[in-house]
Amino acid sequence: MHPSQHKALDRWLAAERDDRSDEADEALFELFEALPLLEPSAGFADRVLLRTGLPVAVEVPAAGLFAWRWARLALAVCVLAVALSVLWLPQTLKALAGTLSLAGVVDVGVKLLSEASLALVSVLRFGDWLFDLGRMLAMPLATPPVLAVLGGCLLISILAFRFLHELITRERSWTYVDPI
Amino acid sequence: MSKPPAALTDAELVAGALGGSEDAYRELVRRFERPIYSLIARMVGDAATAEDLAQEVFVKAFRRLDSYDPERKLSSWLFKIAHNTTIDHLRRGVPETVPLEGDRDDGGADLAAVLFDETSENPAAAAERRDLGRALERAIAGLRPEYRELVVMFYAEGASYQEIVEVTGLPMGTVKTNLHRARKALAEEMTAMGWR
Repeated sequence: MHPSQHKALDRWLAAERDDRSDEADEALFELFEALPLLEPSAGFADRVLLRTGLPVAVEVPAAGLFAWRWARLALAVCVLAVALSVLWLPQTLKALAGTLSLAGVVDVGVKLLSEASLALVSVLRFGDWLFDLGRMLAMPLATPPVLAVLGGCLLISILAFRFLHELITRERSWTYVDPI
Repeated sequence: MSKPPAALTDAELVAGALGGSEDAYRELVRRFERPIYSLIARMVGDAATAEDLAQEVFVKAFRRLDSYDPERKLSSWLFKIAHNTTIDHLRRGVPETVPLEGDRDDGGADLAAVLFDETSENPAAAAERRDLGRALERAIAGLRPEYRELVVMFYAEGASYQEIVEVTGLPMGTVKTNLHRARKALAEEMTAMGWR
Protein backbone atom coordinates (compact mmCIF):
# COMPACT_ATOMS: atom_id res chain seq x y z
CA MET A 1 0.00 0.00 0.00
CA HIS A 2 1.14 3.53 -0.63
CA PRO A 3 2.66 4.73 2.67
CA SER A 4 0.77 8.06 2.67
CA GLN A 5 -2.59 6.29 2.25
CA HIS A 6 -1.84 3.87 5.01
CA LYS A 7 -0.81 6.80 7.19
CA ALA A 8 -4.00 8.67 6.34
CA LEU A 9 -6.09 5.63 7.21
CA ASP A 10 -4.26 5.15 10.51
CA ARG A 11 -4.56 8.84 11.38
CA TRP A 12 -8.25 8.86 10.54
CA LEU A 13 -9.13 5.80 12.60
CA ALA A 14 -6.95 6.95 15.50
CA ALA A 15 -8.56 10.42 15.42
CA GLU A 16 -12.02 8.84 15.42
CA ARG A 17 -11.13 6.75 18.45
CA ASP A 18 -9.87 9.83 20.31
CA ASP A 19 -12.75 12.04 19.14
CA ARG A 20 -10.46 14.49 17.36
CA SER A 21 -12.97 15.57 14.74
CA ASP A 22 -10.84 18.05 12.77
CA GLU A 23 -7.96 15.63 12.38
CA ALA A 24 -10.35 12.86 11.39
CA ASP A 25 -11.83 15.12 8.71
CA GLU A 26 -8.42 16.05 7.37
CA ALA A 27 -7.24 12.43 7.19
CA LEU A 28 -10.47 11.28 5.55
CA PHE A 29 -10.16 14.00 2.90
CA GLU A 30 -6.66 12.72 2.20
CA LEU A 31 -7.94 9.17 1.88
CA PHE A 32 -10.73 10.21 -0.47
CA GLU A 33 -8.24 12.09 -2.63
CA ALA A 34 -6.62 8.74 -3.39
CA LEU A 35 -9.92 7.35 -4.64
CA PRO A 36 -10.29 8.03 -8.35
CA LEU A 37 -13.65 9.62 -9.17
CA LEU A 38 -16.05 7.43 -11.05
CA GLU A 39 -16.80 8.33 -14.66
CA PRO A 40 -19.56 7.28 -17.03
CA SER A 41 -18.61 5.20 -20.05
CA ALA A 42 -17.27 6.86 -23.21
CA GLY A 43 -19.75 8.73 -25.40
CA PHE A 44 -21.90 9.81 -22.47
CA ALA A 45 -22.32 13.36 -23.80
CA ASP A 46 -23.50 12.04 -27.19
CA ARG A 47 -26.06 9.81 -25.52
CA VAL A 48 -27.33 12.70 -23.39
CA LEU A 49 -27.74 14.96 -26.42
CA LEU A 50 -29.48 12.20 -28.33
CA ARG A 51 -31.87 11.61 -25.42
CA THR A 52 -32.47 15.31 -24.91
CA GLY A 53 -33.74 15.71 -28.44
CA LEU A 54 -33.20 19.44 -28.19
CA PRO A 55 -33.25 21.45 -31.39
CA VAL A 56 -29.60 22.25 -31.87
CA ALA A 57 -28.28 24.59 -34.51
CA VAL A 58 -27.50 22.67 -37.69
CA GLU A 59 -25.65 24.47 -40.45
CA VAL A 60 -27.35 24.05 -43.81
CA PRO A 61 -25.53 25.29 -46.91
CA ALA A 62 -27.49 28.28 -48.17
CA ALA A 63 -27.32 27.37 -51.86
CA GLY A 64 -28.15 23.70 -51.25
CA LEU A 65 -31.58 23.63 -52.92
CA PHE A 66 -30.73 25.63 -56.00
CA ALA A 67 -27.48 23.78 -56.49
CA TRP A 68 -29.61 20.83 -57.58
CA ARG A 69 -30.06 20.82 -61.39
CA TRP A 70 -33.58 19.35 -61.40
CA ALA A 71 -34.77 21.95 -58.88
CA ARG A 72 -33.49 24.73 -61.13
CA LEU A 73 -35.27 23.17 -64.14
CA ALA A 74 -38.56 22.81 -62.19
CA LEU A 75 -38.33 26.44 -61.12
CA ALA A 76 -37.82 27.57 -64.75
CA VAL A 77 -40.86 25.55 -65.88
CA CYS A 78 -42.99 27.08 -63.13
CA VAL A 79 -41.97 30.61 -64.08
CA LEU A 80 -42.79 29.89 -67.75
CA ALA A 81 -46.21 28.47 -66.84
CA VAL A 82 -47.06 31.53 -64.76
CA ALA A 83 -46.00 33.83 -67.62
CA LEU A 84 -48.19 31.97 -70.14
CA SER A 85 -51.20 31.90 -67.80
CA VAL A 86 -51.13 35.70 -67.61
CA LEU A 87 -52.31 35.72 -71.26
CA TRP A 88 -55.63 34.09 -70.27
CA LEU A 89 -56.09 36.07 -67.09
CA PRO A 90 -58.37 38.89 -68.44
CA GLN A 91 -60.78 36.40 -70.14
CA THR A 92 -61.00 34.28 -66.97
CA LEU A 93 -61.75 37.28 -64.78
CA LYS A 94 -64.51 38.48 -67.17
CA ALA A 95 -66.18 35.03 -67.16
CA LEU A 96 -66.13 34.93 -63.36
CA ALA A 97 -67.66 38.39 -63.08
CA GLY A 98 -70.55 37.27 -65.34
CA THR A 99 -71.59 34.44 -63.02
CA LEU A 100 -71.91 36.71 -59.97
CA SER A 101 -74.80 39.22 -59.50
CA LEU A 102 -75.83 41.45 -56.57
CA ALA A 103 -79.08 39.50 -56.03
CA GLY A 104 -77.13 36.24 -55.87
CA VAL A 105 -74.72 37.62 -53.26
CA VAL A 106 -77.62 38.94 -51.09
CA ASP A 107 -79.42 35.61 -51.38
CA VAL A 108 -76.34 33.68 -50.19
CA GLY A 109 -75.90 36.14 -47.28
CA VAL A 110 -79.51 35.74 -46.12
CA LYS A 111 -79.28 31.95 -46.30
CA LEU A 112 -76.07 31.94 -44.22
CA LEU A 113 -77.63 34.24 -41.62
CA SER A 114 -80.76 32.10 -41.23
CA GLU A 115 -78.67 28.89 -40.87
CA ALA A 116 -76.50 30.52 -38.21
CA SER A 117 -79.61 31.60 -36.28
CA LEU A 118 -81.00 28.04 -36.38
CA ALA A 119 -77.70 26.67 -35.05
CA LEU A 120 -77.74 29.22 -32.23
CA VAL A 121 -81.28 28.20 -31.26
CA SER A 122 -80.22 24.52 -31.10
CA VAL A 123 -77.28 25.39 -28.83
CA LEU A 124 -79.49 27.42 -26.51
CA ARG A 125 -82.05 24.57 -26.31
CA PHE A 126 -79.31 22.12 -25.39
CA GLY A 127 -78.05 24.51 -22.67
CA ASP A 128 -81.58 24.83 -21.29
CA TRP A 129 -81.92 21.05 -21.17
CA LEU A 130 -78.57 20.74 -19.35
CA PHE A 131 -79.66 23.35 -16.80
CA ASP A 132 -82.90 21.42 -16.11
CA LEU A 133 -80.95 18.19 -15.71
CA GLY A 134 -78.56 19.82 -13.23
CA ARG A 135 -81.44 21.23 -11.16
CA MET A 136 -83.14 17.82 -11.14
CA LEU A 137 -79.98 16.12 -9.85
CA ALA A 138 -79.23 18.82 -7.28
CA MET A 139 -82.63 18.61 -5.59
CA PRO A 140 -82.18 15.18 -3.94
CA LEU A 141 -78.56 16.02 -3.03
CA ALA A 142 -79.72 19.07 -1.08
CA THR A 143 -81.74 16.98 1.38
CA PRO A 144 -80.23 16.72 4.90
CA PRO A 145 -79.60 12.91 4.94
CA VAL A 146 -77.74 12.98 1.60
CA LEU A 147 -75.78 16.03 2.71
CA ALA A 148 -74.81 14.20 5.92
CA VAL A 149 -73.61 11.17 3.93
CA LEU A 150 -71.60 13.40 1.60
CA GLY A 151 -70.05 15.22 4.56
CA GLY A 152 -69.13 11.87 6.14
CA CYS A 153 -67.48 10.69 2.92
CA LEU A 154 -65.49 13.91 2.70
CA LEU A 155 -64.32 13.56 6.30
CA ILE A 156 -63.24 9.94 5.75
CA SER A 157 -61.35 10.97 2.60
CA ILE A 158 -59.51 13.74 4.45
CA LEU A 159 -58.56 11.39 7.29
CA ALA A 160 -57.39 8.71 4.85
CA PHE A 161 -55.32 11.22 2.92
CA ARG A 162 -53.75 12.54 6.11
CA PHE A 163 -52.93 8.99 7.26
CA LEU A 164 -51.31 8.13 3.92
CA HIS A 165 -49.30 11.33 3.94
CA GLU A 166 -47.96 10.60 7.41
CA LEU A 167 -47.16 7.04 6.43
CA ILE A 168 -45.14 8.16 3.44
CA THR A 169 -43.25 10.94 5.21
CA ARG A 170 -42.46 8.74 8.20
CA GLU A 171 -41.10 6.03 5.91
CA ARG A 172 -38.73 8.34 4.07
CA SER A 173 -36.91 11.10 5.80
CA TRP A 174 -35.62 12.54 2.50
CA THR A 175 -36.08 16.16 1.66
CA TYR A 176 -37.07 16.94 -1.89
CA VAL A 177 -35.62 20.22 -3.06
CA ASP A 178 -37.07 21.97 -6.05
CA PRO A 179 -34.07 23.34 -7.90
CA ILE A 180 -36.08 25.08 -10.56
CA MET B 1 -18.95 31.96 -29.90
CA SER B 2 -15.41 33.23 -30.36
CA LYS B 3 -13.70 31.32 -27.51
CA PRO B 4 -13.53 27.52 -27.54
CA PRO B 5 -16.31 26.00 -25.37
CA ALA B 6 -13.83 24.67 -22.82
CA ALA B 7 -12.63 28.23 -22.12
CA LEU B 8 -16.12 29.60 -21.44
CA THR B 9 -17.59 30.16 -17.99
CA ASP B 10 -20.60 28.16 -16.86
CA ALA B 11 -22.89 31.16 -17.35
CA GLU B 12 -21.55 31.72 -20.89
CA LEU B 13 -22.11 28.07 -21.72
CA VAL B 14 -25.67 28.24 -20.44
CA ALA B 15 -26.28 31.33 -22.56
CA GLY B 16 -24.79 29.55 -25.57
CA ALA B 17 -26.92 26.47 -24.96
CA LEU B 18 -30.04 28.61 -24.70
CA GLY B 19 -29.04 30.08 -28.05
CA GLY B 20 -29.11 26.58 -29.53
CA SER B 21 -25.38 25.82 -29.60
CA GLU B 22 -24.78 22.09 -29.61
CA ASP B 23 -21.15 22.66 -28.61
CA ALA B 24 -22.31 24.49 -25.47
CA TYR B 25 -24.62 21.63 -24.49
CA ARG B 26 -21.84 19.13 -25.10
CA GLU B 27 -19.34 21.10 -23.02
CA LEU B 28 -21.83 21.40 -20.15
CA VAL B 29 -22.20 17.63 -20.09
CA ARG B 30 -18.45 17.08 -20.32
CA ARG B 31 -17.82 19.54 -17.50
CA PHE B 32 -20.26 18.02 -15.02
CA GLU B 33 -20.73 14.39 -16.10
CA ARG B 34 -18.06 13.05 -13.72
CA PRO B 35 -19.23 14.60 -10.41
CA ILE B 36 -22.91 14.00 -11.21
CA TYR B 37 -22.30 10.39 -12.24
CA SER B 38 -19.96 9.80 -9.32
CA LEU B 39 -22.53 11.02 -6.79
CA ILE B 40 -25.38 8.99 -8.29
CA ALA B 41 -23.24 5.87 -8.75
CA ARG B 42 -22.30 5.84 -5.09
CA MET B 43 -25.91 6.49 -4.10
CA VAL B 44 -27.48 3.71 -6.14
CA GLY B 45 -24.51 1.32 -6.25
CA ASP B 46 -25.03 0.24 -9.83
CA ALA B 47 -23.14 1.60 -12.84
CA ALA B 48 -25.87 1.07 -15.45
CA THR B 49 -28.58 2.63 -13.29
CA ALA B 50 -26.26 5.48 -12.38
CA GLU B 51 -25.58 6.24 -16.03
CA ASP B 52 -29.28 6.19 -16.84
CA LEU B 53 -30.09 8.52 -13.93
CA ALA B 54 -27.18 10.83 -14.78
CA GLN B 55 -28.53 11.13 -18.32
CA GLU B 56 -31.94 11.92 -16.87
CA VAL B 57 -30.39 14.69 -14.75
CA PHE B 58 -28.90 16.41 -17.80
CA VAL B 59 -32.07 15.98 -19.83
CA LYS B 60 -34.12 17.59 -17.05
CA ALA B 61 -31.57 20.37 -16.63
CA PHE B 62 -31.45 21.17 -20.33
CA ARG B 63 -35.22 21.25 -20.63
CA ARG B 64 -35.40 23.79 -17.78
CA LEU B 65 -32.19 25.63 -18.55
CA ASP B 66 -34.08 28.90 -18.99
CA SER B 67 -35.04 28.78 -15.30
CA TYR B 68 -31.41 28.55 -14.14
CA ASP B 69 -30.28 31.63 -12.21
CA PRO B 70 -26.72 32.52 -13.38
CA GLU B 71 -26.07 34.16 -10.00
CA ARG B 72 -25.95 30.71 -8.45
CA LYS B 73 -23.40 27.94 -8.93
CA LEU B 74 -24.33 25.69 -11.83
CA SER B 75 -22.83 22.68 -10.06
CA SER B 76 -25.15 23.21 -7.05
CA TRP B 77 -28.16 23.46 -9.37
CA LEU B 78 -27.19 20.24 -11.14
CA PHE B 79 -26.49 18.49 -7.83
CA LYS B 80 -29.98 19.44 -6.68
CA ILE B 81 -31.50 17.89 -9.77
CA ALA B 82 -29.30 14.82 -9.22
CA HIS B 83 -30.42 14.69 -5.57
CA ASN B 84 -34.09 14.81 -6.55
CA THR B 85 -33.70 12.33 -9.39
CA THR B 86 -31.90 9.87 -7.12
CA ILE B 87 -34.52 10.27 -4.39
CA ASP B 88 -37.25 9.59 -6.94
CA HIS B 89 -35.41 6.45 -8.00
CA LEU B 90 -34.89 5.23 -4.43
CA ARG B 91 -38.51 6.04 -3.56
CA ARG B 92 -39.73 3.90 -6.40
CA GLY B 93 -38.52 1.05 -4.22
CA VAL B 94 -35.88 -0.24 -6.60
CA PRO B 95 -33.67 -2.50 -4.46
CA GLU B 96 -30.17 -1.26 -3.93
CA THR B 97 -27.61 -3.35 -5.69
CA VAL B 98 -24.05 -4.37 -4.97
CA PRO B 99 -21.28 -1.80 -4.59
CA LEU B 100 -19.43 -0.68 -7.68
CA GLU B 101 -16.76 -3.33 -7.54
CA GLY B 102 -16.12 -6.98 -8.19
CA ASP B 103 -16.69 -8.92 -11.41
CA ARG B 104 -18.38 -6.94 -14.12
CA ASP B 105 -18.85 -7.59 -17.79
CA ASP B 106 -20.77 -4.47 -18.83
CA GLY B 107 -17.72 -2.44 -19.72
CA GLY B 108 -18.33 0.08 -16.94
CA ALA B 109 -15.76 1.41 -14.52
CA ASP B 110 -14.65 -1.14 -11.96
CA LEU B 111 -13.60 0.99 -9.04
CA ALA B 112 -11.23 -1.57 -7.64
CA ALA B 113 -9.53 -1.95 -11.02
CA VAL B 114 -9.02 1.76 -11.54
CA LEU B 115 -8.28 2.63 -7.96
CA PHE B 116 -4.54 2.78 -8.34
CA ASP B 117 -2.01 2.33 -11.07
CA GLU B 118 -0.63 -1.11 -10.38
CA THR B 119 2.20 -0.92 -12.86
CA SER B 120 4.43 1.12 -10.59
CA GLU B 121 4.46 -1.10 -7.53
CA ASN B 122 4.78 -4.69 -6.50
CA PRO B 123 1.72 -6.97 -6.74
CA ALA B 124 1.29 -7.35 -2.98
CA ALA B 125 1.17 -3.58 -2.41
CA ALA B 126 -1.17 -3.15 -5.37
CA ALA B 127 -3.52 -5.80 -4.02
CA GLU B 128 -3.56 -4.13 -0.61
CA ARG B 129 -4.33 -0.75 -2.13
CA ARG B 130 -7.12 -2.29 -4.15
CA ASP B 131 -8.48 -3.87 -0.99
CA LEU B 132 -8.49 -0.51 0.77
CA GLY B 133 -10.42 1.07 -2.10
CA ARG B 134 -12.90 -1.78 -2.07
CA ALA B 135 -13.30 -1.59 1.68
CA LEU B 136 -13.93 2.16 1.59
CA GLU B 137 -16.48 1.79 -1.23
CA ARG B 138 -18.19 -1.02 0.68
CA ALA B 139 -18.26 1.05 3.85
CA ILE B 140 -19.79 3.99 1.92
CA ALA B 141 -22.36 1.65 0.36
CA GLY B 142 -23.25 0.39 3.84
CA LEU B 143 -24.19 3.86 5.09
CA ARG B 144 -27.78 5.08 5.23
CA PRO B 145 -28.59 6.72 1.87
CA GLU B 146 -28.93 10.22 3.40
CA TYR B 147 -25.52 9.84 5.10
CA ARG B 148 -23.99 8.37 1.95
CA GLU B 149 -25.00 11.38 -0.10
CA LEU B 150 -23.44 13.80 2.39
CA VAL B 151 -20.19 11.81 2.59
CA VAL B 152 -19.82 11.63 -1.18
CA MET B 153 -20.63 15.32 -1.67
CA PHE B 154 -18.39 16.53 1.13
CA TYR B 155 -15.36 14.25 0.98
CA ALA B 156 -15.36 13.02 -2.62
CA GLU B 157 -16.78 16.05 -4.45
CA GLY B 158 -15.44 18.71 -2.11
CA ALA B 159 -18.79 20.48 -1.70
CA SER B 160 -18.99 23.05 1.10
CA TYR B 161 -21.48 22.82 3.98
CA GLN B 162 -23.47 25.66 2.40
CA GLU B 163 -23.67 23.88 -0.95
CA ILE B 164 -24.86 20.69 0.76
CA VAL B 165 -27.50 22.71 2.60
CA GLU B 166 -28.71 24.12 -0.73
CA VAL B 167 -28.72 20.75 -2.45
CA THR B 168 -30.35 18.66 0.26
CA GLY B 169 -32.59 21.30 1.81
CA LEU B 170 -31.43 20.22 5.28
CA PRO B 171 -30.58 22.78 7.99
CA MET B 172 -26.89 23.53 8.48
CA GLY B 173 -26.87 21.91 11.94
CA THR B 174 -28.36 18.70 10.57
CA VAL B 175 -25.82 18.57 7.76
CA LYS B 176 -22.92 18.91 10.21
CA THR B 177 -24.37 16.40 12.65
CA ASN B 178 -25.15 13.87 9.93
CA LEU B 179 -21.68 14.25 8.42
CA HIS B 180 -20.12 13.66 11.83
CA ARG B 181 -22.27 10.57 12.40
CA ALA B 182 -21.61 9.31 8.89
CA ARG B 183 -17.85 9.63 9.38
CA LYS B 184 -18.10 7.73 12.67
CA ALA B 185 -20.18 5.00 11.05
CA LEU B 186 -17.69 4.80 8.19
CA ALA B 187 -14.80 4.38 10.64
CA GLU B 188 -16.68 1.69 12.59
CA GLU B 189 -17.38 -0.17 9.36
CA MET B 190 -13.72 0.03 8.28
CA THR B 191 -12.59 -1.18 11.70
CA ALA B 192 -15.11 -4.02 11.59
CA MET B 193 -13.67 -5.04 8.22
CA GLY B 194 -10.24 -5.37 9.82
CA TRP B 195 -8.68 -2.01 8.92
CA ARG B 196 -7.16 -0.58 12.04
